[in-house]
Amino acid sequence: MNNKVAKTTWQRRLYTVFAFAKLNTRRYFRDRTAIFFTIAFPLIFLFIFGGLFGKNTSVNFKVAVINQSQSAFSKQFVADLGKNKVFKVSSDVTTLDQARDQMNHGSLDSAIVLPDNFGAVQQGVAYPSGQAVIYYSQNNAQAASTVTSLLQAVVGGINVKLVKTVTPFTVTSKETGVTGLTPFDYTFSGLVGFSILGLGIFGPVNTFPELKKQGVLRRFHTTPIRVWQFFLANVISQAIVGMLTMAAMLTVAITVFHLKMVGDYAEFAVFIILSIAMIFGIGLAVGGWAQNERQAAPLVNIVTFPMMFLSGTFFPRYLMPQWLQHITNYLPLTPVVDGIRLIATEGKHLIDLGPQLGLMALWIVVIYAVAFRVFRWE
Amino acid sequence: MTTMIEVKDLQKSYGGKRAVDGISFSVKKGEIFGILGPNGAGKTTTLEMLEALRQIDGGTAVIDGIDVAKNPYTIRGIIGVQPQSPAFQDKTKLIELIEMFAAAYGERVKAKPFLDSVQLGEKANSYVEQLSGGQKQRFSIAAALVHNPKVFFLDEPTTGLDPQARRNLWDLVREVRDRGITVVLTTHYMDEAEVLCDRVAIMDQGKIVALDSPHALIKQLLGRGFKKQQKVEQANLEDVFIDLTGKELHDEQ
Repeated sequence: MNNKVAKTTWQRRLYTVFAFAKLNTRRYFRDRTAIFFTIAFPLIFLFIFGGLFGKNTSVNFKVAVINQSQSAFSKQFVADLGKNKVFKVSSDVTTLDQARDQMNHGSLDSAIVLPDNFGAVQQGVAYPSGQAVIYYSQNNAQAASTVTSLLQAVVGGINVKLVKTVTPFTVTSKETGVTGLTPFDYTFSGLVGFSILGLGIFGPVNTFPELKKQGVLRRFHTTPIRVWQFFLANVISQAIVGMLTMAAMLTVAITVFHLKMVGDYAEFAVFIILSIAMIFGIGLAVGGWAQNERQAAPLVNIVTFPMMFLSGTFFPRYLMPQWLQHITNYLPLTPVVDGIRLIATEGKHLIDLGPQLGLMALWIVVIYAVAFRVFRWE
Repeated sequence: MTTMIEVKDLQKSYGGKRAVDGISFSVKKGEIFGILGPNGAGKTTTLEMLEALRQIDGGTAVIDGIDVAKNPYTIRGIIGVQPQSPAFQDKTKLIELIEMFAAAYGERVKAKPFLDSVQLGEKANSYVEQLSGGQKQRFSIAAALVHNPKVFFLDEPTTGLDPQARRNLWDLVREVRDRGITVVLTTHYMDEAEVLCDRVAIMDQGKIVALDSPHALIKQLLGRGFKKQQKVEQANLEDVFIDLTGKELHDEQ
């Protein structure tokens, strides 16, 4: 076979793929139920969970008090802060590093640091003085300014009691440099992961056995179409639909829940497409293997349930015990959820996501090897 | 006439049971060949092996000089297949389905003439689920011929159709044959085989028990001294039915 012929053969094969992908996508938008489940359903979830976890409904602020001073005054000051109802003092944080870590997870609003000279009586004056420093994360500037003004009010009360002419105690605030994620950032990446899971698995698992039962796939089997062409066409149309879902979710997250999308949109899109291709492979494997819905249902549950709850979709993984975090690190959806968060809210680039992309590549190979092996046309 | 299909000692077993038990036959280019037999005789299995849908356990099948077992994809490219119950994905327009089937063969076609050829031109933008049983059968034929195949296989094409739709389908099959396409069909309607097929193979329990033209088979039977018990009328009930309801298709909308 010469090159010219080989090229046209491949052009024909790819034409098959794109024609199928185009019709699949078009057909998809004629199915109202499918549209509801892929576009409206994730949005409903976003509203529910965004409303639950995303907003700070409580009026108190979670702060860490790091007292570096030995003075009696500072000890009293810390004890008074503990009694203040507006501040919820986190007792297990004792260093600034720990505070940074917690702020990064979004479980701490800011840290109040009392330096070692806080409350000490300076030479030549009769009263104690000092400056409290408030550390906060980039995303929490608002909470930090509130904490600052509240603390200023507390300090102001003390000042008035001491002297009128000078203000011995002052408050200042500093950004910690960590990006600091709000609970919603975790909710968002988790829900995007959950949508990809639903989109990629529940779709093909329902439609393929149905098409087999009707004999539609069998009919395609009588043509020279190859399994890879059929798979690729489905992956493409799924990716198109998935991008629309993601666009809708991102729009709502940014406009309603004030998500700060700091990452690159193109890189985000590439990462989403890869994620869909991987997760959709699981759906192809199960749906392609099952001859009817009854065969598919139990297998789908076994495969999806661990990912649904342990990959950081609804509960952030840092809340899990260490050993469970180690295991769930390797679930296919975990790098997806982590990657989305890293790109969207921490502004990381694809080059920074080596571990995530590597794990996903490995899963793609495994998943599609299985999917090709078990696929049945009828 | 040249040979289009050559089958030698074809075998297929399911769990020890021989569904197709070493059959041999050949189909000439341009003829309508019928495979007859009761349910479970092995007709569909034979057809599916020729269509490269089922693994051939033993023997050989060659279509247009190409070995089916060795070149399944090449075979699928030169045959058209009409399955027992034509099924198409829903929410897809007829015109799109024709384009889709052509694309499955790597070809780009204008869909309208194909729909016109089976009198479904007006339905080009309808969804397939809006078609009646007969329309679906006709559409299925158009879809099976988008790539201009050399052989056309039909598995029990008229099961469940009304007499008008059956006759219309016979006409379509003859038109396909007139285009030079070799036709192989299975049926268990003897009247259908008699009016449509140039030659028939009668199968029973996985074996071919007779192979000849319908006319010759009838003559052989009469030659063995067979007499029908009932007197043959010059017309039958179906003739009455067609006379009363007309030959035109009654497509429900």
